[in-house]
Amino acid sequence: MRPPTRSVLTGVVAVAVLTAGSAACTIKNSGASSGAQAAASGKSGTGTAELADGSGTKVALVPGGAHPYFQPWKAAGAAAKKEYGLGDVTFDETSEWDQQKQNNLISTLAARGYNAFGIFGVSPTDINTTFADLKSQGFAVASLASCPAGGTDKADFCLSTDVEVAAYKAAKAAIGAMAGKGTLVHLTGNNVDANTQLRIKGVDKAVKESGGKVKLLQTVTDVDKDLQTAQKAVSDLLAAKGDRIQGIVTTAYNPAVAAADAVKTSGSRAKVVAIDDDAKILSAIKDGSVAATVVQNPVGQAEVGTWALALLQTKQCTMRHPGQIIDSGSFVVTKTNVGTYDAARTAKTEQLKKQFADTVLVCE
Amino acid sequence: MRTPVTTPEHDSRADGTAAIRQPAQRLPLWVNQRLGLLVLTVALAALFGLLRPAFLDERLVLFPLLRDISTLTVVALAQMVVLSVGHMNLAVGRMAAFGALFAGLGYDRLHLPLQLGLLLCLFAGAAIGFLTGWIIARTGVSSFVVTLAMDFALLGLVSLLYSALTENAAFTTQPSGLMDLRSTSLADICVGPVCGSPAVPQMAQFTVLALGGLGFLYTRTRLGRELLLTGANPAAAELSGIPTGRRVILAHALSGLLAALAGFMAAVGTGTFRASIGDDFMLPSFLGAVLGGTLLTGGVVSVLGALLGTSLVGVIRKGLDLLGVGLESLNIYLGCVLLLALSADRVRTVVSYRKVVRST
Repeated sequence: MRPPTRSVLTGVVAVAVLTAGSAACTIKNSGASSGAQAAASGKSGTGTAELADGSGTKVALVPGGAHPYFQPWKAAGAAAKKEYGLGDVTFDETSEWDQQKQNNLISTLAARGYNAFGIFGVSPTDINTTFADLKSQGFAVASLASCPAGGTDKADFCLSTDVEVAAYKAAKAAIGAMAGKGTLVHLTGNNVDANTQLRIKGVDKAVKESGGKVKLLQTVTDVDKDLQTAQKAVSDLLAAKGDRIQGIVTTAYNPAVAAADAVKTSGSRAKVVAIDDDAKILSAIKDGSVAATVVQNPVGQAEVGTWALALLQTKQCTMRHPGQIIDSGSFVVTKTNVGTYDAARTAKTEQLKKQFADTVLVCE
Repeated sequence: MRTPVTTPEHDSRADGTAAIRQPAQRLPLWVNQRLGLLVLTVALAALFGLLRPAFLDERLVLFPLLRDISTLTVVALAQMVVLSVGHMNLAVGRMAAFGALFAGLGYDRLHLPLQLGLLLCLFAGAAIGFLTGWIIARTGVSSFVVTLAMDFALLGLVSLLYSALTENAAFTTQPSGLMDLRSTSLADICVGPVCGSPAVPQMAQFTVLALGGLGFLYTRTRLGRELLLTGANPAAAELSGIPTGRRVILAHALSGLLAALAGFMAAVGTGTFRASIGDDFMLPSFLGAVLGGTLLTGGVVSVLGALLGTSLVGVIRKGLDLLGVGLESLNIYLGCVLLLALSADRVRTVVSYRKVVRST
């Protein structure tokens, strides 16, 4: 065999040309600003942030992709449009869980005339770049239901469930249901996602606080892809270690539904703490097969987010601290409060609105 | 399964298709697939522009559209290179993620400048492609099986490395020049008072280089022709003295290199180097290449066609987005395009077969 001189040569030439190309590409910046607006100072919130005229505001609510969690956004956005007389509110779930597609969709929506964006970023580590882009073009931007990773938020504000706190609450509820001792399993979503890492931290914290009485047997990640994946993972887990598991805490939607189902059908005595308020989970709480669920506030995120975006877009208000992170609330629902938790959630939404008017926004 | 080609005569076409054919009998111009694609893409763009004038917005629509097309064209080229030897690369997305991982690692841990990180990324991609090609050539196992196995192996490995090396499962260090590369267009390059179009991203330079390099390889070099003959008829190629094993390895190494380049471009496009890069590269890689005229069975490639095929899909998607079409309808339309692409491939195979039969 003769040495592959020509192939190597071709490869080397291709690489050299590409490298030269990348060197030539950084000629000058387009002059895009960092996007962070200067903090307004000196004015205090009056608590009466009434939107004067929202007819020129077109709000786009953009989730990361199709997911049951975001469905309440549709109705909440439409209700906000009617209530505040906004130009338009659209809900577009065609991002398909791909950051590049989401970026493209957002710029297309901007070209269609939308000027305020409530976004659930697909990739928490990338979304700040998108926010900075939008801010530099003068749009009002909110990070809804998830905050950028790393503690910096380049949107106007982030209105989201504090995922670490929610996971901590869920683990606490599970430990409570297990009478404070035994082994716990954590089922969650995509391991290479910043929010999943926060959820793992939250559960770990609750387990540590038990002082060794509760042991975290396993953290099963990547089981939120679809219900089938979650069902398989849960049945495998119960078959292999079912007799050693006293508690299951789920911090993602699909494993929550799967765990609720599996525990009920297999007759396992493990205490399950779920997430969100899917009809299946609520009925499982009522019949006792699920101990508790941690409910989030998607309606509040869309409703308050849309309203605040309209105030910012019309320049009627500015952010007191641009990039502020606001917890939209999470609630532990058990058999005792399964009928009344929605009232607590509505109250939280009202309180959020007041918080925005009083302390988050500075209005003329 | 192989295209029934028997003699290694070479036909390099001016329109960018490279194939090994019987004595050249060109199809009439109106049947030319690439011309058809170009006309269709331009007509659709004009239609969308008429329906929604915002389609022609350079900054908000055309710039992101072209940036997307640039990246996906490189993905399609990565697939096209292996299709040229009659193989396929199901791990094209994971190879992109693997390459991007090394670029991110280089920037984050080794503090490399932009160009060196890109080199490391390309090297990693070429190395994993080389390994894949070597396994296929040595074991004789189908490329479908080997690349599928490689896809699974890399899925695990890349996730594992990101989890072990980073806190947020992504390398967020951005070397100087990366954000410029992401946001600058030809409008930032001026010759005297004349500046380029703000619609054309500077990132497109990588695509142009890849297109030019592969165009040269397939139409002007003996190596390119040997790759095509290996795809068209491996037995004939072997008997003609072509080291088919080495050509297979080369095709896979090139595919890995191009996949890594696409991974780098995708990372630059969104801002960070993360494991989910390339997650949905596989379908566009086949769609772009096959729509453009590359045969799934090997032996015929169209470098320019990969660009045109990818552009058509990009324009349709962008146009439907602008018209506000919902998720379900969007996927139905895109599914129809894929079906049409595969049907067109079959029709062309039949036509070229009949041509061969008629001329013998």
